[in-house]
Amino acid sequence: MSGDDMSEQIQDQMSAFTDDELSPEECAFLVRRLERDPETRDRVLRYSIIGAALRGELPNPDPDVLRRRVRAELDGVRPMETSRDATTVQRRYFRPAVGLGIAASVAVAALATLYAINSPIDPAGFEAQVAGVPTGVVGQDNPPSYVVPSEAAGPLTLGDSLSPPPIRLTNYLITHGQYAPGIRRTSIHTNVISNEGTTVLVTQPPLQER
Amino acid sequence: MNRPLSLRSLAGTVVGCATLQAAAQDAQQWLDRMTSAVEELSYRGTFVHLLGDEVETLQIIHRNDNGRISERIVSMDGVGREIIRNEDEIYCILPDQQIVLFESRRDVSPLVSSLPSYSEDLARSYEIALLHTERVVERDAQVVAIHPRDEFRYGYRLWLDSETAMPLKSQLRDGQGRTVEQMAFTQIDIGGSIPPSALEPTIDARGFETITPPDNAVAEAAPLWRATRLPDGFQLSVATLTRMAGSENPVEHLVYSDGLATVSVFVESPDSETEVAGGLSRIGSANAFSFEFSGRQITAVGEVPAVTVESIATSFASP
Repeated sequence: MSGDDMSEQIQDQMSAFTDDELSPEECAFLVRRLERDPETRDRVLRYSIIGAALRGELPNPDPDVLRRRVRAELDGVRPMETSRDATTVQRRYFRPAVGLGIAASVAVAALATLYAINSPIDPAGFEAQVAGVPTGVVGQDNPPSYVVPSEAAGPLTLGDSLSPPPIRLTNYLITHGQYAPGIRRTSIHTNVISNEGTTVLVTQPPLQER
Repeated sequence: MNRPLSLRSLAGTVVGCATLQAAAQDAQQWLDRMTSAVEELSYRGTFVHLLGDEVETLQIIHRNDNGRISERIVSMDGVGREIIRNEDEIYCILPDQQIVLFESRRDVSPLVSSLPSYSEDLARSYEIALLHTERVVERDAQVVAIHPRDEFRYGYRLWLDSETAMPLKSQLRDGQGRTVEQMAFTQIDIGGSIPPSALEPTIDARGFETITPPDNAVAEAAPLWRATRLPDGFQLSVATLTRMAGSENPVEHLVYSDGLATVSVFVESPDSETEVAGGLSRIGSANAFSFEFSGRQITAVGEVPAVTVESIATSFASP
Protein backbone atom coordinates (compact mmCIF):
# COMPACT_ATOMS: atom_id res chain seq x y z
CA MET A 1 0.00 0.00 0.00
CA SER A 2 1.43 3.37 -0.94
CA GLY A 3 1.81 6.19 1.52
CA ASP A 4 -0.97 8.08 -0.17
CA ASP A 5 -3.28 5.10 0.07
CA MET A 6 -2.46 4.74 3.71
CA SER A 7 -3.03 8.40 4.37
CA GLU A 8 -6.35 8.21 2.61
CA GLN A 9 -7.31 5.21 4.63
CA ILE A 10 -6.54 7.03 7.85
CA GLN A 11 -8.38 10.09 6.64
CA ASP A 12 -11.39 7.90 6.04
CA GLN A 13 -11.00 6.44 9.49
CA MET A 14 -10.79 9.89 11.04
CA SER A 15 -13.84 10.93 9.12
CA ALA A 16 -15.71 7.81 10.16
CA PHE A 17 -14.61 8.31 13.75
CA THR A 18 -16.10 11.75 13.98
CA ASP A 19 -19.21 10.59 12.19
CA ASP A 20 -19.68 7.85 14.72
CA GLU A 21 -19.08 5.04 12.28
CA LEU A 22 -16.09 3.24 13.78
CA SER A 23 -16.26 0.31 16.13
CA PRO A 24 -14.48 0.65 19.51
CA GLU A 25 -11.74 -1.61 18.20
CA GLU A 26 -11.27 0.57 15.16
CA CYS A 27 -11.15 3.67 17.34
CA ALA A 28 -8.46 2.17 19.51
CA PHE A 29 -6.55 1.12 16.42
CA LEU A 30 -6.69 4.62 15.01
CA VAL A 31 -5.35 6.18 18.18
CA ARG A 32 -2.53 3.64 18.37
CA ARG A 33 -1.73 4.18 14.73
CA LEU A 34 -1.36 7.91 15.16
CA GLU A 35 0.62 7.45 18.31
CA ARG A 36 3.32 5.21 16.89
CA ASP A 37 3.60 6.41 13.34
CA PRO A 38 5.12 9.89 13.15
CA GLU A 39 5.05 9.92 9.38
CA THR A 40 1.39 9.16 9.21
CA ARG A 41 0.76 11.60 11.99
CA ASP A 42 2.44 14.29 9.94
CA ARG A 43 0.35 13.32 6.98
CA VAL A 44 -2.72 13.54 9.09
CA LEU A 45 -1.52 16.95 10.09
CA ARG A 46 -1.73 18.14 6.54
CA TYR A 47 -5.37 17.48 6.11
CA SER A 48 -6.22 17.41 9.72
CA ILE A 49 -9.69 17.55 11.07
CA ILE A 50 -8.17 19.68 13.73
CA GLY A 51 -6.94 22.16 11.19
CA ALA A 52 -10.44 22.52 9.89
CA ALA A 53 -11.84 22.90 13.35
CA LEU A 54 -9.09 25.28 14.39
CA ARG A 55 -9.89 27.52 11.48
CA GLY A 56 -13.56 27.41 12.26
CA GLU A 57 -14.41 25.61 9.05
CA LEU A 58 -16.46 22.94 10.67
CA PRO A 59 -19.92 24.41 10.64
CA ASN A 60 -21.10 22.50 13.63
CA PRO A 61 -18.70 20.20 15.42
CA ASP A 62 -21.44 18.45 17.26
CA PRO A 63 -20.43 18.12 20.90
CA ASP A 64 -22.96 15.36 21.44
CA VAL A 65 -21.27 13.15 18.90
CA LEU A 66 -17.90 13.58 20.52
CA ARG A 67 -19.37 13.10 23.97
CA ARG A 68 -20.99 9.87 22.89
CA ARG A 69 -17.79 8.71 21.28
CA VAL A 70 -15.77 9.33 24.42
CA ARG A 71 -18.35 7.66 26.60
CA ALA A 72 -18.40 4.71 24.25
CA GLU A 73 -14.63 4.52 24.36
CA LEU A 74 -14.61 4.57 28.14
CA ASP A 75 -17.52 2.21 28.56
CA GLY A 76 -16.50 -0.11 25.79
CA VAL A 77 -20.05 0.10 24.47
CA ARG A 78 -21.13 0.89 21.00
CA PRO A 79 -23.14 4.12 21.11
CA MET A 80 -26.56 4.38 19.59
CA GLU A 81 -26.58 5.23 15.97
CA THR A 82 -27.63 8.74 15.22
CA SER A 83 -29.54 10.13 12.33
CA ARG A 84 -27.19 13.03 11.94
CA ASP A 85 -27.82 14.49 8.54
CA ALA A 86 -24.30 15.70 8.19
CA THR A 87 -23.34 13.41 5.38
CA THR A 88 -22.76 16.43 3.27
CA VAL A 89 -20.13 17.72 5.62
CA GLN A 90 -18.42 14.45 6.23
CA ARG A 91 -15.53 13.80 3.94
CA ARG A 92 -14.73 17.16 2.56
CA TYR A 93 -13.49 18.48 5.86
CA PHE A 94 -10.86 15.82 5.98
CA ARG A 95 -9.18 16.58 2.74
CA PRO A 96 -5.62 17.78 2.85
CA ALA A 97 -5.32 21.41 3.79
CA VAL A 98 -2.39 23.09 2.15
CA GLY A 99 -0.03 25.06 4.33
CA LEU A 100 -1.79 24.37 7.52
CA GLY A 101 1.37 25.02 9.39
CA ILE A 102 0.65 23.55 12.76
CA ALA A 103 2.62 20.84 14.43
CA ALA A 104 1.43 17.29 14.59
CA SER A 105 1.62 17.43 18.31
CA VAL A 106 -0.53 20.50 18.39
CA ALA A 107 -3.03 18.85 16.14
CA VAL A 108 -3.12 15.73 18.22
CA ALA A 109 -3.24 17.79 21.41
CA ALA A 110 -6.13 19.69 19.94
CA LEU A 111 -7.80 16.39 19.19
CA ALA A 112 -7.49 15.58 22.86
CA THR A 113 -8.91 18.99 23.51
CA LEU A 114 -11.96 18.11 21.52
CA TYR A 115 -12.51 15.22 23.86
CA ALA A 116 -11.81 17.31 26.93
CA ILE A 117 -14.17 20.07 25.98
CA ASN A 118 -16.99 17.88 24.91
CA SER A 119 -17.00 15.38 27.69
CA PRO A 120 -17.31 15.81 31.44
CA ILE A 121 -15.10 12.77 31.75
CA ASP A 122 -11.39 13.29 31.72
CA PRO A 123 -9.96 11.43 28.77
CA ALA A 124 -6.88 10.72 30.80
CA GLY A 125 -5.77 7.75 28.83
CA PHE A 126 -5.98 9.54 25.57
CA GLU A 127 -4.25 12.63 26.89
CA ALA A 128 -1.51 10.50 28.32
CA GLN A 129 -0.92 9.10 24.87
CA VAL A 130 -1.02 12.52 23.35
CA ALA A 131 1.38 13.85 25.92
CA GLY A 132 4.23 11.80 24.58
CA VAL A 133 4.11 13.35 21.15
CA PRO A 134 7.06 15.59 20.29
CA THR A 135 6.02 19.18 19.93
CA GLY A 136 8.18 20.87 17.38
CA VAL A 137 6.23 23.58 15.65
CA VAL A 138 6.69 23.43 11.94
CA GLY A 139 5.17 26.75 11.13
CA GLN A 140 2.98 29.49 12.41
CA ASP A 141 1.79 31.00 9.21
CA ASN A 142 -1.78 30.00 9.72
CA PRO A 143 -2.49 30.24 13.41
CA PRO A 144 -5.24 28.08 14.74
CA SER A 145 -8.40 29.79 15.80
CA TYR A 146 -10.17 26.87 17.27
CA VAL A 147 -13.85 27.18 18.00
CA VAL A 148 -15.90 24.44 19.52
CA PRO A 149 -19.11 25.15 21.38
CA SER A 150 -18.69 24.90 25.10
CA GLU A 151 -20.56 26.04 28.12
CA ALA A 152 -17.54 25.88 30.36
CA ALA A 153 -16.71 29.57 30.40
CA GLY A 154 -20.28 30.62 30.79
CA PRO A 155 -22.53 32.06 28.16
CA LEU A 156 -22.00 35.54 26.84
CA THR A 157 -24.61 37.92 28.04
CA LEU A 158 -26.90 39.53 25.54
CA GLY A 159 -25.67 42.93 24.57
CA ASP A 160 -22.08 42.04 25.20
CA SER A 161 -19.46 43.51 22.97
CA LEU A 162 -16.14 42.00 22.04
CA SER A 163 -13.21 44.28 21.49
CA PRO A 164 -9.48 44.47 22.16
CA PRO A 165 -8.82 45.20 25.80
CA PRO A 166 -7.75 48.70 26.64
CA ILE A 167 -4.10 48.95 27.50
CA ARG A 168 -5.06 50.02 31.00
CA LEU A 169 -6.73 46.72 31.67
CA THR A 170 -3.61 44.96 30.44
CA ASN A 171 -1.61 47.15 32.86
CA TYR A 172 -3.84 46.08 35.67
CA LEU A 173 -3.60 42.40 34.79
CA ILE A 174 0.18 42.44 34.60
CA THR A 175 0.46 44.23 37.92
CA HIS A 176 -2.13 41.94 39.45
CA GLY A 177 -0.16 38.94 38.27
CA GLN A 178 2.89 40.08 40.18
CA TYR A 179 1.02 39.54 43.42
CA ALA A 180 -0.60 36.23 42.55
CA PRO A 181 0.73 32.84 43.61
CA GLY A 182 3.04 31.27 41.04
CA ILE A 183 0.71 29.12 39.01
CA ARG A 184 -1.96 31.81 38.93
CA ARG A 185 0.61 34.33 37.74
CA THR A 186 1.44 32.05 34.83
CA SER A 187 -2.24 31.84 34.02
CA ILE A 188 -2.71 35.60 34.23
CA HIS A 189 0.29 36.26 32.02
CA THR A 190 -1.01 33.68 29.59
CA ASN A 191 -4.31 35.51 29.48
CA VAL A 192 -2.48 38.76 28.76
CA ILE A 193 -0.77 37.40 25.67
CA SER A 194 -3.38 34.92 24.57
CA ASN A 195 -5.08 35.95 21.38
CA GLU A 196 -8.40 34.55 22.39
CA GLY A 197 -8.07 35.43 26.02
CA THR A 198 -7.65 39.12 25.51
CA THR A 199 -11.11 39.86 24.34
CA VAL A 200 -13.12 42.06 26.56
CA LEU A 201 -16.70 41.47 27.44
CA VAL A 202 -18.55 44.56 28.50
CA THR A 203 -21.79 43.55 30.09
CA GLN A 204 -23.43 46.27 32.05
CA PRO A 205 -22.98 49.97 32.51
CA PRO A 206 -21.98 50.75 36.06
CA LEU A 207 -24.72 51.42 38.49
CA GLN A 208 -22.65 53.77 40.61
CA GLU A 209 -22.35 57.49 40.12
CA ARG A 210 -20.21 58.65 37.24
CA MET B 1 -34.28 5.80 71.75
CA ASN B 2 -31.12 7.76 72.04
CA ARG B 3 -28.17 5.66 72.92
CA PRO B 4 -25.03 7.04 74.47
CA LEU B 5 -22.11 7.31 72.11
CA SER B 6 -20.11 4.16 72.50
CA LEU B 7 -16.42 4.28 73.08
CA ARG B 8 -15.88 2.44 69.82
CA SER B 9 -17.90 4.89 67.73
CA LEU B 10 -16.26 7.82 69.50
CA ALA B 11 -12.86 6.37 68.74
CA GLY B 12 -13.93 5.82 65.16
CA THR B 13 -15.03 9.42 64.85
CA VAL B 14 -11.77 10.68 66.29
CA VAL B 15 -9.74 8.46 64.00
CA GLY B 16 -11.85 9.55 61.05
CA CYS B 17 -11.32 13.22 61.83
CA ALA B 18 -7.62 12.67 62.30
CA THR B 19 -7.44 10.87 58.96
CA LEU B 20 -9.27 13.68 57.20
CA GLN B 21 -7.01 16.25 58.83
CA ALA B 22 -3.92 14.32 57.82
CA ALA B 23 -5.19 14.07 54.25
CA ALA B 24 -5.83 17.82 54.17
CA GLN B 25 -2.34 18.45 55.50
CA ASP B 26 -0.89 16.19 52.83
CA ALA B 27 -2.76 18.14 50.16
CA GLN B 28 -1.57 21.38 51.73
CA GLN B 29 2.01 20.14 51.54
CA TRP B 30 1.54 19.37 47.86
CA LEU B 31 0.31 22.91 47.29
CA ASP B 32 3.26 24.34 49.19
CA ARG B 33 5.65 22.23 47.14
CA MET B 34 3.90 23.32 43.95
CA THR B 35 4.31 26.99 44.83
CA SER B 36 8.02 26.49 45.37
CA ALA B 37 8.42 24.40 42.23
CA VAL B 38 6.76 26.91 39.91
CA GLU B 39 9.10 29.64 41.06
CA GLU B 40 12.32 27.90 42.02
CA LEU B 41 12.78 25.25 39.35
CA SER B 42 14.16 25.90 35.91
CA TYR B 43 11.98 24.45 33.20
CA ARG B 44 10.87 24.90 29.64
CA GLY B 45 7.98 23.43 27.81
CA THR B 46 5.02 23.78 25.52
CA PHE B 47 1.53 23.95 26.88
CA VAL B 48 -1.98 24.22 25.58
CA HIS B 49 -4.22 26.87 27.06
CA LEU B 50 -7.93 26.21 26.83
CA LEU B 51 -10.40 28.88 27.63
CA GLY B 52 -14.01 28.14 26.99
CA ASP B 53 -14.23 27.58 23.27
CA GLU B 54 -10.70 28.63 22.51
CA VAL B 55 -7.38 26.84 22.51
CA GLU B 56 -3.93 28.29 22.12
CA THR B 57 -0.44 26.85 22.20
CA LEU B 58 2.25 28.63 24.18
CA GLN B 59 5.82 28.08 25.16
CA ILE B 60 7.20 28.86 28.61
CA ILE B 61 10.83 29.15 29.61
CA HIS B 62 11.50 29.66 33.31
CA ARG B 63 15.02 30.12 34.56
CA ASN B 64 16.32 30.28 38.10
CA ASP B 65 19.90 31.48 38.01
CA ASN B 66 21.04 31.41 41.63
CA GLY B 67 17.85 33.02 42.79
CA ARG B 68 17.50 35.41 39.86
CA ILE B 69 14.21 34.51 38.26
CA SER B 70 13.47 35.19 34.65
CA GLU B 71 10.67 33.86 32.52
CA ARG B 72 9.39 34.12 29.00
CA ILE B 73 5.98 33.07 27.77
CA VAL B 74 5.30 33.31 24.08
CA SER B 75 2.17 32.54 22.16
CA MET B 76 2.94 30.21 19.29
CA ASP B 77 -0.26 31.15 17.56
CA GLY B 78 -1.52 34.32 15.98
CA VAL B 79 0.65 37.38 16.21
CA GLY B 80 2.95 35.77 18.75
CA ARG B 81 2.65 38.02 21.75
CA GLU B 82 5.34 37.62 24.36
CA ILE B 83 5.69 38.41 28.01
CA ILE B 84 9.12 38.47 29.59
CA ARG B 85 9.72 38.68 33.31
CA ASN B 86 13.09 39.54 34.69
CA GLU B 87 12.74 39.43 38.45
CA ASP B 88 10.36 42.31 39.22
CA GLU B 89 10.38 43.77 35.72
CA ILE B 90 7.92 42.72 33.09
CA TYR B 91 7.92 43.42 29.38
CA CYS B 92 4.81 42.66 27.45
CA ILE B 93 5.27 42.80 23.69
CA LEU B 94 2.05 43.25 21.75
CA PRO B 95 2.98 43.20 18.05
CA ASP B 96 -0.62 43.52 16.96
CA GLN B 97 -0.87 46.84 18.75
CA GLN B 98 2.77 47.80 18.09
CA ILE B 99 3.22 48.33 21.80
CA VAL B 100 5.71 47.27 24.43
CA LEU B 101 4.33 47.55 27.93
CA PHE B 102 6.89 47.77 30.68
CA GLU B 103 5.89 47.31 34.28
CA SER B 104 8.17 47.27 37.25
CA ARG B 105 7.06 46.36 40.71
CA ARG B 106 8.31 49.52 42.36
CA ASP B 107 6.00 50.22 45.21
CA VAL B 108 6.01 53.83 46.26
CA SER B 109 4.51 53.19 49.59
CA PRO B 110 3.87 49.62 50.61
CA LEU B 111 1.43 49.82 53.49
CA VAL B 112 0.58 46.20 53.82
CA SER B 113 2.64 43.64 52.04
CA SER B 114 2.35 39.95 52.50
CA LEU B 115 2.04 37.90 49.37
CA PRO B 116 -0.85 35.48 49.43
CA SER B 117 0.17 32.10 50.70
CA TYR B 118 -1.50 28.81 51.35
CA SER B 119 -2.50 28.38 54.95
CA GLU B 120 -4.84 26.46 57.17
CA ASP B 121 -7.37 29.22 56.53
CA LEU B 122 -7.80 27.73 53.08
CA ALA B 123 -10.05 25.13 54.63
CA ARG B 124 -12.57 27.89 55.36
CA SER B 125 -12.96 28.57 51.69
CA TYR B 126 -12.11 25.30 49.98
CA GLU B 127 -12.34 21.57 50.36
CA ILE B 128 -8.97 20.15 49.43
CA ALA B 129 -8.37 16.51 48.65
CA LEU B 130 -5.66 14.30 47.28
CA LEU B 131 -7.05 12.08 44.56
CA HIS B 132 -5.43 9.41 42.47
CA THR B 133 -2.23 9.47 40.46
CA GLU B 134 -2.10 9.69 36.69
CA ARG B 135 0.41 9.80 33.89
CA VAL B 136 0.76 13.22 32.32
CA VAL B 137 3.39 14.01 29.68
CA GLU B 138 4.99 10.68 30.50
CA ARG B 139 5.41 11.58 34.15
CA ASP B 140 3.60 10.37 37.25
CA ALA B 141 1.33 13.04 38.61
CA GLN B 142 -0.59 13.42 41.84
CA VAL B 143 -4.06 14.84 41.30
CA VAL B 144 -5.19 17.45 43.83
CA ALA B 145 -8.79 18.64 43.90
CA ILE B 146 -9.72 22.00 45.39
CA HIS B 147 -13.43 22.67 45.58
CA PRO B 148 -14.82 26.09 46.51
CA ARG B 149 -17.25 26.28 49.41
CA ASP B 150 -19.19 29.18 47.91
CA GLU B 151 -19.80 31.04 44.67
CA PHE B 152 -17.17 33.72 45.28
CA ARG B 153 -14.21 31.69 44.09
CA TYR B 154 -13.26 29.07 41.57
CA GLY B 155 -12.03 25.60 42.29
CA TYR B 156 -8.96 23.92 40.91
CA ARG B 157 -7.89 20.52 39.75
CA LEU B 158 -4.13 20.13 39.66
CA TRP B 159 -1.94 17.38 38.24
CA LEU B 160 1.36 17.76 40.10
CA ASP B 161 4.53 16.02 39.06
CA SER B 162 5.17 13.32 41.64
CA GLU B 163 8.85 14.08 41.74
CA THR B 164 8.95 17.88 41.74
CA ALA B 165 5.33 18.98 42.39
CA MET B 166 5.49 21.01 39.20
CA PRO B 167 1.95 21.45 37.85
CA LEU B 168 1.81 19.51 34.60
CA LYS B 169 -1.83 20.27 34.07
CA SER B 170 -4.27 22.53 35.84
CA GLN B 171 -7.92 23.32 35.57
CA LEU B 172 -9.82 26.28 36.90
CA ARG B 173 -13.35 25.12 37.67
CA ASP B 174 -16.54 26.84 38.61
CA GLY B 175 -18.75 25.79 41.48
CA GLN B 176 -20.55 23.27 39.29
CA GLY B 177 -17.30 21.59 38.39
CA ARG B 178 -17.23 22.91 34.83
CA THR B 179 -13.80 23.74 33.51
CA VAL B 180 -13.38 27.46 32.97
CA GLU B 181 -9.74 27.32 31.96
CA GLN B 182 -7.24 24.56 31.43
CA MET B 183 -3.51 24.58 30.97
CA ALA B 184 -1.76 21.35 30.07
CA PHE B 185 1.82 20.74 29.11
CA THR B 186 2.30 18.72 25.97
CA GLN B 187 6.03 18.67 26.54
CA ILE B 188 8.19 19.80 29.46
CA ASP B 189 11.83 19.63 30.47
CA ILE B 190 12.42 20.21 34.16
CA GLY B 191 15.88 21.13 35.39
CA GLY B 192 18.93 21.44 33.23
CA SER B 193 20.66 24.52 32.02
CA ILE B 194 18.80 27.29 30.24
CA PRO B 195 20.96 29.83 28.43
CA PRO B 196 20.13 33.53 28.87
CA SER B 197 19.52 33.75 25.13
CA ALA B 198 16.42 31.60 25.57
CA LEU B 199 14.85 34.46 27.50
CA GLU B 200 15.36 37.01 24.77
CA PRO B 201 12.36 38.15 22.75
CA THR B 202 12.03 36.88 19.21
CA ILE B 203 9.97 39.87 18.11
CA ASP B 204 11.71 42.85 16.62
CA ALA B 205 10.05 45.62 18.58
CA ARG B 206 11.89 48.49 16.96
CA GLY B 207 9.42 51.19 16.15
CA PHE B 208 6.91 49.99 18.70
CA GLU B 209 5.55 52.46 21.21
CA THR B 210 7.00 51.72 24.63
CA ILE B 211 4.81 52.55 27.57
CA THR B 212 6.71 52.78 30.83
CA PRO B 213 5.95 53.96 34.34
CA PRO B 214 7.04 57.55 35.03
CA ASP B 215 10.36 57.87 36.80
CA ASN B 216 9.39 61.01 38.61
CA ALA B 217 6.06 59.98 40.03
CA VAL B 218 5.54 61.73 43.31
CA ALA B 219 4.27 59.75 46.21
CA GLU B 220 1.24 61.19 47.83
CA ALA B 221 -0.39 60.38 51.09
CA ALA B 222 -2.16 57.09 50.92
CA PRO B 223 -5.85 57.82 50.35
CA LEU B 224 -6.77 54.80 52.41
CA TRP B 225 -9.41 53.41 50.12
CA ARG B 226 -10.63 50.12 51.42
CA ALA B 227 -13.31 47.56 50.65
CA THR B 228 -16.04 47.79 53.23
CA ARG B 229 -17.21 44.25 52.80
CA LEU B 230 -15.53 41.16 51.48
CA PRO B 231 -16.62 37.64 50.62
CA ASP B 232 -15.88 35.29 53.47
CA GLY B 233 -12.25 34.24 53.60
CA PHE B 234 -10.83 37.19 51.67
CA GLN B 235 -8.59 39.60 53.49
CA LEU B 236 -6.33 42.49 52.59
CA SER B 237 -2.84 41.22 51.88
CA VAL B 238 -1.25 44.13 50.00
CA ALA B 239 -2.00 47.85 50.02
CA THR B 240 0.41 50.05 48.18
CA LEU B 241 0.85 53.07 46.00
CA THR B 242 2.51 52.01 42.81
CA ARG B 243 3.73 53.53 39.58
CA MET B 244 2.11 52.14 36.52
CA ALA B 245 2.87 52.60 32.87
CA GLY B 246 0.72 55.35 31.41
CA SER B 247 0.01 57.19 34.65
CA GLU B 248 1.67 60.30 35.95
CA ASN B 249 0.29 59.74 39.40
CA PRO B 250 0.74 56.76 41.65
CA VAL B 251 -2.07 54.30 41.63
CA GLU B 252 -3.43 52.78 44.79
CA HIS B 253 -3.27 49.03 44.51
CA LEU B 254 -4.96 46.75 47.01
CA VAL B 255 -4.79 42.99 46.90
CA TYR B 256 -7.37 40.83 48.61
CA SER B 257 -6.74 37.12 48.90
CA ASP B 258 -8.24 34.02 50.41
CA GLY B 259 -4.86 32.32 50.21
CA LEU B 260 -5.46 30.94 46.76
CA ALA B 261 -7.56 33.37 44.77
CA THR B 262 -6.52 37.00 44.56
CA VAL B 263 -8.41 40.14 43.60
CA SER B 264 -6.59 43.38 42.87
CA VAL B 265 -8.34 46.71 43.22
CA PHE B 266 -6.86 49.75 41.51
CA VAL B 267 -7.91 53.25 42.50
CA GLU B 268 -6.77 56.19 40.42
CA SER B 269 -7.81 59.46 38.86
CA PRO B 270 -9.37 58.65 35.51
CA ASP B 271 -8.24 60.36 32.36
CA SER B 272 -8.32 59.59 28.68
CA GLU B 273 -5.19 57.47 28.93
CA THR B 274 -6.23 55.36 31.83
CA GLU B 275 -9.97 55.12 31.53
CA VAL B 276 -11.42 51.63 31.59
CA ALA B 277 -14.85 50.84 30.27
CA GLY B 278 -17.33 50.80 33.11
CA GLY B 279 -19.04 47.61 34.11
CA LEU B 280 -17.95 44.05 33.79
CA SER B 281 -15.22 42.85 31.46
CA ARG B 282 -13.68 39.47 30.92
CA ILE B 283 -10.07 39.01 29.93
CA GLY B 284 -9.31 35.37 29.54
CA SER B 285 -10.28 33.65 32.74
CA ALA B 286 -10.07 36.92 34.68
CA ASN B 287 -13.03 39.16 35.36
CA ALA B 288 -12.87 42.90 35.93
CA PHE B 289 -15.41 45.37 37.20
CA SER B 290 -14.86 49.10 36.94
CA PHE B 291 -16.79 52.22 37.86
CA GLU B 292 -16.22 55.80 38.88
CA PHE B 293 -16.93 57.06 42.33
CA SER B 294 -16.08 60.32 44.00
CA GLY B 295 -13.74 61.34 41.21
CA ARG B 296 -11.85 58.07 41.22
CA GLN B 297 -11.86 55.13 38.90
CA ILE B 298 -12.14 51.93 40.88
CA THR B 299 -11.37 48.66 39.11
CA ALA B 300 -11.33 45.19 40.62
CA VAL B 301 -9.71 42.40 38.65
CA GLY B 302 -9.01 38.77 39.41
CA GLU B 303 -9.40 35.17 38.35
CA VAL B 304 -12.58 34.83 40.32
CA PRO B 305 -16.25 34.75 39.34
CA ALA B 306 -17.77 38.00 38.13
CA VAL B 307 -19.87 38.35 41.26
CA THR B 308 -16.70 38.56 43.35
CA VAL B 309 -15.02 41.43 41.50
CA GLU B 310 -18.31 43.31 41.33
CA SER B 311 -19.02 42.75 45.00
CA ILE B 312 -15.58 43.87 46.13
CA ALA B 313 -15.41 46.85 43.77
CA THR B 314 -18.81 48.26 44.63
CA SER B 315 -18.14 47.96 48.33
CA PHE B 316 -15.65 50.80 47.89
CA ALA B 317 -18.63 53.08 47.36
CA SER B 318 -20.41 51.93 50.48
CA PRO B 319 -19.97 53.51 53.87
